[in-house]
Parts: sequence; C-alpha cells; structure tokens
Amino acid sequence: MDRPIAYDKLAREDRFVRMRTRDVANAKIEQGMPPFPDLSSEASMRDRIHGILVGEMQAMEGAGRSVYDFPDAPWEFTLDMARQVWDESRHVETYLGLLDHLGGYVGEFPETTLLWRCACAEDAAARVAGVNRGLEGLACDVFNQLIHIARKMGDPVIERSVDYVLADEITHVRMGSRWLNELTRGDAERRRRAIEFQDSIDERFNLGGQRQDGHHEVVPISIAKDARRLAGFTDEEIERLVKSTQRSQVY
Amino acid sequence: MRILGGWIALTPEVDAKLLFGRHVWDCAQHADLWGKRLPELRAAAQVSEPGGPAVVAAFDLIETAERPEQTVERVTAIYRVVKPHLATVYERHLAVANPVYEPPTRRILLRCIEEERRHAAAGALVLERLFARDRASADRARLWERKLLDALGAARGVTGDVELPLVAEPATPPERASVAQDLVTPPSGFDVEAALGDLAAPLAAHRAALARGELAAVRGELSGEAPPEAVVEYARLVPPFERVEVVGVARIGRQRVVKLALAGPRGRQVLQERWTPTEAGWRIVTVEVTDSTS
Repeated sequence: MDRPIAYDKLAREDRFVRMRTRDVANAKIEQGMPPFPDLSSEASMRDRIHGILVGEMQAMEGAGRSVYDFPDAPWEFTLDMARQVWDESRHVETYLGLLDHLGGYVGEFPETTLLWRCACAEDAAARVAGVNRGLEGLACDVFNQLIHIARKMGDPVIERSVDYVLADEITHVRMGSRWLNELTRGDAERRRRAIEFQDSIDERFNLGGQRQDGHHEVVPISIAKDARRLAGFTDEEIERLVKSTQRSQVY
Repeated sequence: MRILGGWIALTPEVDAKLLFGRHVWDCAQHADLWGKRLPELRAAAQVSEPGGPAVVAAFDLIETAERPEQTVERVTAIYRVVKPHLATVYERHLAVANPVYEPPTRRILLRCIEEERRHAAAGALVLERLFARDRASADRARLWERKLLDALGAARGVTGDVELPLVAEPATPPERASVAQDLVTPPSGFDVEAALGDLAAPLAAHRAALARGELAAVRGELSGEAPPEAVVEYARLVPPFERVEVVGVARIGRQRVVKLALAGPRGRQVLQERWTPTEAGWRIVTVEVTDSTS
C-alpha cells in the first residue's frame, strides 16, 4: 500500500453520489438555496445529517490512514489515531440511525470529499492540525447547533445522540492539540506550516458564512467557544477564528 | 492494526468498512499491552520486530489486496488467517505459561484470545454477506486463504517457530451476543421510483436510448445551460449496453443527480448526470462518465 494513498482512491458503494463541494454549493445557490443546509425543512435536516454521516466516514478513513501512514510516529500518536478510528466508526453507526430516524437513505444527498482531502496531507502534524483541530473543531460548532435545534424541536433522539458524539469530537480536537505540539516540538517551520494549513481550512470552510461569533438564537451557527476551550484551543486561537469567519469564502 | 487502518478507505462496502473500524482500536490495545509488558521482561518498551524475512513477505502478500473489488480477499486475510492464527499462537502460549510466575502475561493472553476469536467470528459473518452478493467470491476466498496460509507456513507462523497446524478451531465458539457488538447492519436499499419522483418516466426513456446507443437522442436531453464538456463526456461512452441500471439517486433541492451503471460487452461504465426540472420537462445540466465507481 502506498503511504499516503492518492485521494481519488477513496472507495464507496455505488449508491454514493460524489461531487465537488463547489459544484454542490453552486447548484444550491442557482436554486435560491443556502449553500449549507439551514435546517429550515425536513429535507434540509436530512441533508445536514447525511453530510455529517459521510464526514464521519471520511474521518474514520482518515484516522485509519494515519494509523498506517506514519509507522515512525510515536506509538502514543498511533494509539490515539486508532482510538479515533473506533470512535468515528460508532459515529457512522449513530448517523446511519439518525438518517433512518428522519426517513432518509444513504446516498440521498451528494457526498463531497473535503475532509478526506485534508486527511491526505503528507505531514502528520499538518494532518492533525487540519483534520483534528480545523475540521473536528468545526464539527464541534455544527454539533452544538444541532443539539440546540433538536432541543427546540423536541427531538431527544437527535439531541442525545449528537451530544455523545460531540463529547468524542472534543476529545479528538484535544488529541490534535496535543500532537500538533508534540510532533512539531523544536521544529518551528513544521509547526508554522501545520498551523497555516489549519488556518486555511478554518477560512475556506466557513459553512457559507453561517458560522459566526454569537449566541445560538442570534447567529445561524455559533462558534462553540466552551467546547473549543475544553479541547485545548487558546483564547487567542478562538479570537483568530472569529476574525476569519468575517472574511470567509461562501462554501 | 496498521493494515486494517489503511484498508478502511480502500473498502467500498459499508459493513466491511465499519468492521475494520471497530477492530483497529482493539488491535491497538493488544499491541499496547504487549508493548508495555516487554520492559517487565527486560526488553525495550513498545519496540517490536518481525519473526523473520518470510513473515515480512507473508504480510506484504496480505497487503497486496488493496483494489476496491478485493474486499473478500481483505476480510479473508485478516479474519480467516491472521486473527485465527494469532488466537492459536496465544492459546498455545497460554497452555505453557506458568500460572504462578506469569499471570501478567496470562491476563493479556486471555484478553487477546477472547477478542481475536470474537473478531474472527464477526469477520466470518461479514464474509457470508459478501459471498451472498457474489457467489463466485467464495472460491476466490478459499484460494486466497490457501495462498496466505502457505506463505505463513513458509515463515513458520508469526513468531517463526509455530508448529502446524497454524490455525486451530476455538475450543468454545464466541457467544453470538458478544459477536453482534462488532457488527453493523448494512444500510438498507432505497426506493428508486420514490427517489426519482416524476423524473422516473423520462429517465426510463433515457436509459433505453442509452442501452441502444442512441447518443444523439441522449444529447438532445441536455439543457441549454449545460457546459460543452457534457457532449464530450457522452462521447466517452462505449455502447451498446445490455443493462442500464439506476444505482444512485441524490437530491440537490429540486434537482436530482442520477448515477447509472452501464454494463456491456466492452465492460462497465458509470454515468452520473444532474437533472433539473424545466418548463420543457427534465433536462440534464452536468454529465460525468467514469469506468469505475470506486
């Protein structure tokens, strides 16, 4: 097996329809829809849950690759990545159940592969910075909002399921914080490149401008500051993220 | 552990993918327990080496099964060969491990035996599902198992000193309930007609035209907004096709992205088209042709 593998080797059953993130967003905008599901309808809710399902699958696949791709990394790094694989496999099962709960089916919405592409970064430090801190940090924001909306909708199945998943995500971000520091100790250039990679993800994938600083009732997706602090983000990093959301691209 | 982790992304079937995902962590914990036990026995912690070059060759052979259509080979390798072999080696070690001096090792062995046997049983059930989808794959699995056992036999097992047989059946099979915790039910199929809605009728005519190779008629269904590349994509099709099957239907608002598997004498192609409703009926806005779905 190659280390790492080319990103187009990601294997899927026929039922999955794969598209570029930009193409999906443009197709929605052409129809007057927001590029990221706004949870204003049942279909939008299923779209969001489906998007998270494939994201969890790619996170499992990415963490699995990290177990394989870095045989010379510290053993504890491999152990953390293996634990993450298991967590993500349970998250996939959770979201399969939630999709079923909402009357959807696997393949009902296109799959985009942005998370997987980030998981193909060649440097382990960049990978944990981009995936564990960037994208799983973003997942904390999205899940926090989903829990809030499920509570308002009176859907305890979604509320509780996502709450358990969020707890794991905080752990994964914390792992990312730990390994970003440990893998780049004494190598300022490697650390700079890894953080730059994470910042580029935070800036580019801002959920159509919906992720903002503020309370759930005021902004579409609130930056989950408490969850991020629990996960090892500093106040300075959170402030930088808030600023990046004010100048982000639309998808 | 490393091979399973690397294979998850290369495996299309959701149930097999999740089986690997479940077991990577158990395997990592086994390795960790052994790695921590090493310094207690006056060796370096978490440092391991293969039993010999033939062991490396056997595992290199296992790793070669990395194409999407080789899931049966992957599951066979780990769940019919590696895990049953490890359990066998552990059981023999346990039988001679001194109960007074070696309880720390015995405890690790007991845990590993139980989990490796459980994993193997779960893998056997997933393998049965794979065989049910493709009957011919059972023969492939038997041949691959034989080849891997031969390679492992040449190495005299993972430790380089294992007596035959390399794989022994468990004295007591794992309980069904414990095996079930490792399995995820494959996602159910979807109702194609319901997913297509009023696109079902025009798509039926479209599929018939594709099967007959009437590409001019197919191109006539393109929307005026379709990019010129769409025509080029259709030129990549190699008709006629004996079967044109709907394998995927995704929605983007009112639009539908339909994935068709086209099987003909010259092979299999996959056509992905995005359809949009217009006043003149359903029209195609984007087209993508691949020779493989994975």
